[in-house]
Amino acid sequence: MNNALIEFRGVSKSYRKGSEVVDAAANVDLRIQERGMVAIVGPSGSGKSTLLHMMGAMDRPTRGEVLVAGEAVNRLSSGELTRFRRKTVGFVFQTFNLIPNLTALENVALPMEFNGVSAAERSARAKALLVRFQLGHRLKHRPRELSGGEMQRVAIARAVANEPRLVLADEPTGNLDSRSGKLIYELLQEVSRERTVIVVTHAEELAKLADRVIHIRDGQLVEDPNSAIRLASNTL
Amino acid sequence: MGMIILGLRNLLRNKVRLALVAILIGIPFFLLLAMYSIGDAMQRQTKIMNENVNTVVQLRGRGSMGHVNMVGQDRLLPQDTLEKVRGIEHVEHAEPYLLAMAPITPPNFVMHVGLATNAVKRLESHGEAGNPRIIAGRDFMPEDAGQDVAIIGQGYAKWAGITPAQIGDATITIDPTRTHPAIYGMDRPKRELRIIGMYASGYIFGDLQLFMPIETFRSIYGTDQGISWLFVKVDSVENVPLVAQRLRETVGDVADILVPESAAVFTATTSETVTQLTSVGGILAVTLMVIVVFFVLLMMVRERAREIGTLKAIGASNGGVTAQFLTEAVALTLLGGVLGLLLFRGVGEMVTGRLFALSIGPFLPSHYKPLFESLAINNNLSASALALVLVIAVLAAMIGSAYGVWQAVKLSPLEAMKHE
Repeated sequence: MNNALIEFRGVSKSYRKGSEVVDAAANVDLRIQERGMVAIVGPSGSGKSTLLHMMGAMDRPTRGEVLVAGEAVNRLSSGELTRFRRKTVGFVFQTFNLIPNLTALENVALPMEFNGVSAAERSARAKALLVRFQLGHRLKHRPRELSGGEMQRVAIARAVANEPRLVLADEPTGNLDSRSGKLIYELLQEVSRERTVIVVTHAEELAKLADRVIHIRDGQLVEDPNSAIRLASNTL
Repeated sequence: MGMIILGLRNLLRNKVRLALVAILIGIPFFLLLAMYSIGDAMQRQTKIMNENVNTVVQLRGRGSMGHVNMVGQDRLLPQDTLEKVRGIEHVEHAEPYLLAMAPITPPNFVMHVGLATNAVKRLESHGEAGNPRIIAGRDFMPEDAGQDVAIIGQGYAKWAGITPAQIGDATITIDPTRTHPAIYGMDRPKRELRIIGMYASGYIFGDLQLFMPIETFRSIYGTDQGISWLFVKVDSVENVPLVAQRLRETVGDVADILVPESAAVFTATTSETVTQLTSVGGILAVTLMVIVVFFVLLMMVRERAREIGTLKAIGASNGGVTAQFLTEAVALTLLGGVLGLLLFRGVGEMVTGRLFALSIGPFLPSHYKPLFESLAINNNLSASALALVLVIAVLAAMIGSAYGVWQAVKLSPLEAMKHE
């Protein structure tokens, strides 16, 4: 278990909701290995998105430590966080979040530009990715000219453009029909052969396609006995 | 592509809004240009006044109007006054005038003025300067000195039946023997002068005068010696009091010395008031620009919060987000600026002139109106003036967008996760 990409050490996260304190994560210890697809499932408000946000250094724990690729992300400065987001992590959003006035090709090339990749190289790499995701005929199309499934494929291409070790997907099929949703999961599965993909989802059927499923309830992790990757202890 | 190009492309997302915002910024920009041009015109006009009025001291024979044939008012300055005055420090030059009255009916009398051919043609208007413009024929030339030629005011010409088309051929007869209750006759022969030019001054009495070379005047009226009025041009406004003091010491026993204090005070106070008004107007225009940019940027940041979160989530730095929004703010302001400038080039002269006439005109004494009506609003801004106004616009964009940009920078990538 030494080659964990993600490691949570006694992580707790509390929110104040009016006078009430809500524990979104309670003393979580979690290790996720390099490569493979992990699904985080649980009812609304169970804390699954909070886990994802902390993995992506978008949110900091109230207690404990979050390590991603060996870096304690909860201690990174603003500049270091920007570098971390450029190099280590890629995001896929439920609502796709493509930049509306950029073409599919430009959307995919944008993170590479932030990462200092030359114009020629980013154009070639973005084109290759879109072709690989069966979007070679949509290079010059803007988001409004694409279907939901196509937009999410562009978003996945954007997420992997900088070849990050980790891809975080927040309800990636939430705005898609079941057929498109299945295609997106298959695509994420393909992506997970080269890197770690963490997916937050409500869709239990699709979660079954993951190599590992983490259930979360009231901020507590629950092991899935059917996961392909079994856990060594009660600690997930 | 870069965040700057992304910012520029963002402008085209909503063309209707772009046009609306450009108009909203263009109007205060137009006002800023209008204020600038009024201030500029006022400065030029003040300079002219300072050159023509404020630095000119007038001398007349002590206790006399100094007209050679006016009953009880015919005491002239001694001829040597001219040399004495020219010897005083800070006197740039001195122009001797000779004046005579001539009866006509109506309106009772006109004025004949003898002066050097290169002298400024100052109208006999209770000591104040006028600004006659040649409207037909020509002005005096050096070779006209001593010749029987004259330049006539359009009112005098109308009374004499001379039309602009006749200038160059028409003549007028000067008869020094004619009298009037205020004019005594002089036993001198008539003289016919050829009219070589016609002028307009902008007010009735100013147009009832006739300029001729001073040598010709002396010959007609037999005034070999003496000066009616001596106009003394001082080298700067600041030195006027000093020169006035020296004049009192040197020729005060024979001359009344008229220092243009009222004109100086008027010019100073009017210039100051107009400058203050235009400054306040300019500040208001810039403030309006800042407010428009402020709200537009705030609206854009609120509207695009999720997009900003997404950009940060995929690796945009705070500097990049700042560059993007600053680019949009500056480009919007420049676009508004171009619109305002085009508007100013189109209707600026008319609107600004009216704006000035309405705001300042009512406060002017009636005898100053012709001078101020000639205030030249310039709708062709110099390159440096334009650059200054553009710099102000860019600064306004930066100040106006600061809060919105700060809001954008503050946004967390978590915004990208928010579902609609």
